[in-house]
Amino acid sequence: MEYPRQITMIQAAAVLISTIIGVGVLPLPLFAVRAAGTGAPLVTVLGILIASVGLWTITKLGMRFPNQSIIQYSEEIIGKWLAWVGCVMIIIFFSLLTSLAAREFGEVVITTVLKRTPLEITVIVMLLLATFSSRNNMTTFAYIHNFYLPLLVFPAILIVALSLKNADVINLLPVTGNDHHQMLPGILTIAGLFQGTFVYTIVIPAMRRPDRAMMASFWGMLIGGGLYLSIVVAALGVFGPEETKLLLWPTLELAKTTTLPGNILERLDAAFLAVWVTAVFTTLFSSYYFTIRAISKLFRLRDHKMLSLFILPYLFVLAMLPQNIIHMYQIIEWVSRAGLVITIGYPLILLLIAVARKKRRELDDSKATEQED
Amino acid sequence: MIPKLRSKKISVLLMFSFVLPLLTGCWDRLEIEERAVVLGVGIDKAEQALPKPSEAISHPADKQLNITKAGLIKVSAQIAVPGRIPLGPGEGGGGGGGQKTVWVVEATGYTVADAFNVLQQRVSRPLFFGHLRIIVVSEKVAKKGIENLNDYFRRNPEVRRTNWMVICKGEATAIMHASPQLERVPTLYLMTTMDQAVKMGRFPNDFLGVFWNASSAKGKEGYLPYMEMMENDNVQISGLAMFRGDRMVMTTTPREIIHYMGIMGMREGGGEAYAKLEGMKEYFMFQSRTRQSMFKVSLQNGKPYIKVTTIIEGNLLSKSSESISLKSDVIRAVEGQLEKQAAEGYRNLIAKTQLADSDIFGFGEYIRAKQPSYWNANIQTSEKWREHYKELKIDVKVDVHIRRVGMKAT
Repeated sequence: MEYPRQITMIQAAAVLISTIIGVGVLPLPLFAVRAAGTGAPLVTVLGILIASVGLWTITKLGMRFPNQSIIQYSEEIIGKWLAWVGCVMIIIFFSLLTSLAAREFGEVVITTVLKRTPLEITVIVMLLLATFSSRNNMTTFAYIHNFYLPLLVFPAILIVALSLKNADVINLLPVTGNDHHQMLPGILTIAGLFQGTFVYTIVIPAMRRPDRAMMASFWGMLIGGGLYLSIVVAALGVFGPEETKLLLWPTLELAKTTTLPGNILERLDAAFLAVWVTAVFTTLFSSYYFTIRAISKLFRLRDHKMLSLFILPYLFVLAMLPQNIIHMYQIIEWVSRAGLVITIGYPLILLLIAVARKKRRELDDSKATEQED
Repeated sequence: MIPKLRSKKISVLLMFSFVLPLLTGCWDRLEIEERAVVLGVGIDKAEQALPKPSEAISHPADKQLNITKAGLIKVSAQIAVPGRIPLGPGEGGGGGGGQKTVWVVEATGYTVADAFNVLQQRVSRPLFFGHLRIIVVSEKVAKKGIENLNDYFRRNPEVRRTNWMVICKGEATAIMHASPQLERVPTLYLMTTMDQAVKMGRFPNDFLGVFWNASSAKGKEGYLPYMEMMENDNVQISGLAMFRGDRMVMTTTPREIIHYMGIMGMREGGGEAYAKLEGMKEYFMFQSRTRQSMFKVSLQNGKPYIKVTTIIEGNLLSKSSESISLKSDVIRAVEGQLEKQAAEGYRNLIAKTQLADSDIFGFGEYIRAKQPSYWNANIQTSEKWREHYKELKIDVKVDVHIRRVGMKAT
């Protein structure tokens, strides 16, 4: 059964935003500040720019081939076998991304709230949530993201705004930072936090008007990136560069330091964690969904539903691999930097070849190749 | 249709089997009365040099450990007694009358973590730090360094950053045992003391998080409230305890708290001061309402130079006699006199901090922020800044404005 293309521009942007806001927001200020001290906002902006290049590339590709996802058009551009290698890389990378996100979630939950719950339980619950949700079709996928979006964005803005009460401009100066030699890896790490946006390659073929995909990615990046930047600015402004370096999850500490006026809530970390669980879910959902959709496309399966359960044990085992939290963050930083080759480098090459070989497909409304059921 | 129906059935079944284990309960379920809620912690230097055999829990008893410079410390924790904490101001008058709302337990150890471990051995329920409001550290311990405390409380996810940490003259245990009359719960009294002082503009909003931020910053040192136990179970804020790194180095007088707030331009003004005009007998009392200050950083002959400008607005509170009536020129003269006094007080406080190498104002942070090339070339670390701070040239200018004189015409 084939349904008409149903995803609107706003839904597409919502998918991007709620995918961007995920586990990464907790250590984000730490990554940025480690890179350049008070230059953290600058590092974040540069990271956003790099991520924007990636998003721009996949949007361009998506608009060139409005009926196909990256798995299909890459075959058309560079040939079946090369594309197969590329796709397998993408799938492996996204499985890693999903499992690491689930693991990071588990670590945060165990450290802060559920100290006695076994790690396996928190991780498996989160993965199961993504598993069942990913049995839905593309339209529902977009609806779920759209539904949770206000729940993510507004509390985050509220916490940032309220925390600015304790902030000091001096902590943000000089904007270039006093020490730069760690800047490049930091920029790459931050750009790596945006890699979930790669899911856009399967969203565009389901968009009602793929020609407006660029608009959606612009707004998605503006709001998602803007939120990242404001979180970094708020954490740096409140804690200062040196204190931020001592905090494993500065954003969570920020919520802990922030009080709602009028003694309504003395610490916002509990409320923040609740919001954050939703944010992790949407991010995990995106990467999980992308992984199984990509596998089903690669093996030309008509249905992706059974796959959702099939890959669960693999993801779970991957999530259990890091030995401790320090080890986990080493892996995360390494994986997300290396992943840039896959999520930005590879599409860039595809686009260049597509332009050189003048490959393009016209929009075909009657036959959307994204199968719905 | 048949296979579809069956798959639906299976999926419903599957869902139930997965959902069921998730609904069975919570691993971390811990009822509120099953916790030992720690409201306040006092930290002293222990009298004995070696731990008692009964307190050697995280280390062998016969071995002397050399973890911190403070040596053995004594921790006294104020634990809330369930059911005796009044929920509102009107409640609990009859039922729990006369009974203590908190229980103070003590333990010694080499570090805070060690002492809490011993404490846990003595308290039946798991210690819970989520409601910890105040940490009192004795001057003796603070002078040896509180790095270990900072580490423990930063690491513990239950501890809030909005706690107050105070340094006390004498024994912290004494404050933990004190029971002031205004509140049923002693820690809440201490907390209210600090919170109200902040609201009235009598003390900077210097909660634990702010202290941590300041002491980790390279061009800034932390400071904490310095408390003193008075008679009648009363406590008084009698100055700032200045730190250098994690070690307390000096205290200020209570009057210098106001001077500090003036230099920093903390908006809520609450300071009161007498002014006496030259050649006149009258004393005028002034109370500040709002303050504002600006730090201007520049390089003079290759050396940093900071100009502090403070603007204070306030009211006249009292006048010592009727022999002189308030006119514009008198007000202006009083303003001038106050400006002179304040500037002198500020300069003295700055000189005092320079003597102690303790830049509690964060002038170094201003240099790092505004003159980054000078900072990067000459300073870079907090140790270097402490050396530079001694020679920093700072000028102070104060503008005082008397706006209102109360309900009396003259």
